[in-house]
Amino acid sequence: MAPADLHFQVDIAHWGWSIAWFLWFVGIAGMGSVAYYFVRKAALSYVIFGSLAIGLVLVVSHLGRWWNLPRTLWTMVTNGIFNYSSWMIIGIVLLSVHLLLTVILVASHVRWLQRIGWLKWTGSLAKASAYLIVYAFLGFMATVYSGFLLTQASGIPLWNTSLIPVLWVVSGSIAAIAVIELMYVFGLIESSVSTLAVRLGLGLDAIKLLAVLGFLHVALAYGSAGARIGATAMASGEYALMTWGGVIGIGILVPIAIGLYTVLVKKSKPLLAISSIAALAGVFFLRAVVLLAGAWEPLVL
Amino acid sequence: MSTRLRKGQAPTKRMAHVWDASKCIACGACVLSCTSTNNPDMMTREEKGWHSVASNIRRIDSVTAQGRPEVLLVQCQHCEDAPCLATCPFGATYMDDNGMIRLDPRMCAGCSYCVTSCPYNVRWFHPDSKLPKKCMGDTCLELVADGLQPACVQACPAGARDYGDLNDPDSSVSVTLRTKRSRRLLENAGTEPKYFVVEGS
Repeated sequence: MAPADLHFQVDIAHWGWSIAWFLWFVGIAGMGSVAYYFVRKAALSYVIFGSLAIGLVLVVSHLGRWWNLPRTLWTMVTNGIFNYSSWMIIGIVLLSVHLLLTVILVASHVRWLQRIGWLKWTGSLAKASAYLIVYAFLGFMATVYSGFLLTQASGIPLWNTSLIPVLWVVSGSIAAIAVIELMYVFGLIESSVSTLAVRLGLGLDAIKLLAVLGFLHVALAYGSAGARIGATAMASGEYALMTWGGVIGIGILVPIAIGLYTVLVKKSKPLLAISSIAALAGVFFLRAVVLLAGAWEPLVL
Repeated sequence: MSTRLRKGQAPTKRMAHVWDASKCIACGACVLSCTSTNNPDMMTREEKGWHSVASNIRRIDSVTAQGRPEVLLVQCQHCEDAPCLATCPFGATYMDDNGMIRLDPRMCAGCSYCVTSCPYNVRWFHPDSKLPKKCMGDTCLELVADGLQPACVQACPAGARDYGDLNDPDSSVSVTLRTKRSRRLLENAGTEPKYFVVEGS
């Protein structure tokens, strides 16, 4: 029997689809920045920039009082109020610096910008190993932040687990690998890089499957009432199709099947394209279903 | 006039709400008086997420295992270790020197982090201002500043509600909590709520 006090956060706090898209774009940009350290291609930097820019537009437009943001930031700075115990403010700082470094990276790849004298420093800076290490670290931390953003929301017991940042990093890595595979499909990257990415992707898919099932198992078997309500919605309730069909079927099993075929039989660009799109969709479904299934602990007298 | 506490500062007062469930007749006067006092524009509009009147007091109707109807009234607990205070990215949510959790609208961008951070699910979005509303409302704060009781305490016909300073051993809430059996909601959440449910003598 459903408890009398049953409320999903999406109906009240409205963290719904736009936040799911935001988390997805941050995952692609974040772990894409780690991948950039190994695959230094212009196309990857454009994908990172696009993802970050769209993600930020989405999250700002989702704010109920977005028009008050300049005043909010001004009041915060002038009053010296910085709440660094909030993962959201940590994220704002991380994403701002990450965006700035991405703009420099993109500028280093655009030929006509490199012909402008006062922008040539971007080319040399973006090639420096130290810069790329800092960039990769920032991307990793941005992905971690997008997980802890949910973990810190203590009203939603389903989210109060450190598995979420881990899941976000693993699935963000899968998304970055899918982007690299798509770059191979479009002839933007060498075949050897793609082969390595497929093998790496197989391992990450297996870890993601274990982490998703572990997330559900722990919440269902040992979680509080609120966590169980959320996990039940994911496993057998309203969002079961998204979990089993979207996250696990499309997002994990399809890429594993195509990955195994690629490694054991032969490499096919159309199949790799399907696998990449399926993996990216699965990463999105994972974020969406975890968000939408978030419910409060029912209160009883 | 109460002031914002800075990190590390302790409130001078610890204002608390007491709801005596043994006296409550579940008439809903506190819920409606809260809305009519603090958000009169919401008197005829529904809080869509809760499917109820938009009030800073949330009413939960349930039935016990024995089939007895039961009512629980929940509102901002003004937690001493408030999660909404820790998560608010812009510092819009703060504790004042009365120990009350307040909202500075100038600093709120409407991110909802305070809403998802509250284990008691007592914040609701005003559909026009997009502010995350909760107890106490602006008018109740004015009443309290003038030395009066909040609207819900004044409206309760059964005398089931009270509001006062826990630091004052002679305050009515301190006396009630000393002499009657009471408990707090979600004690294990570690939020140190200052909303007490009196269960009986």
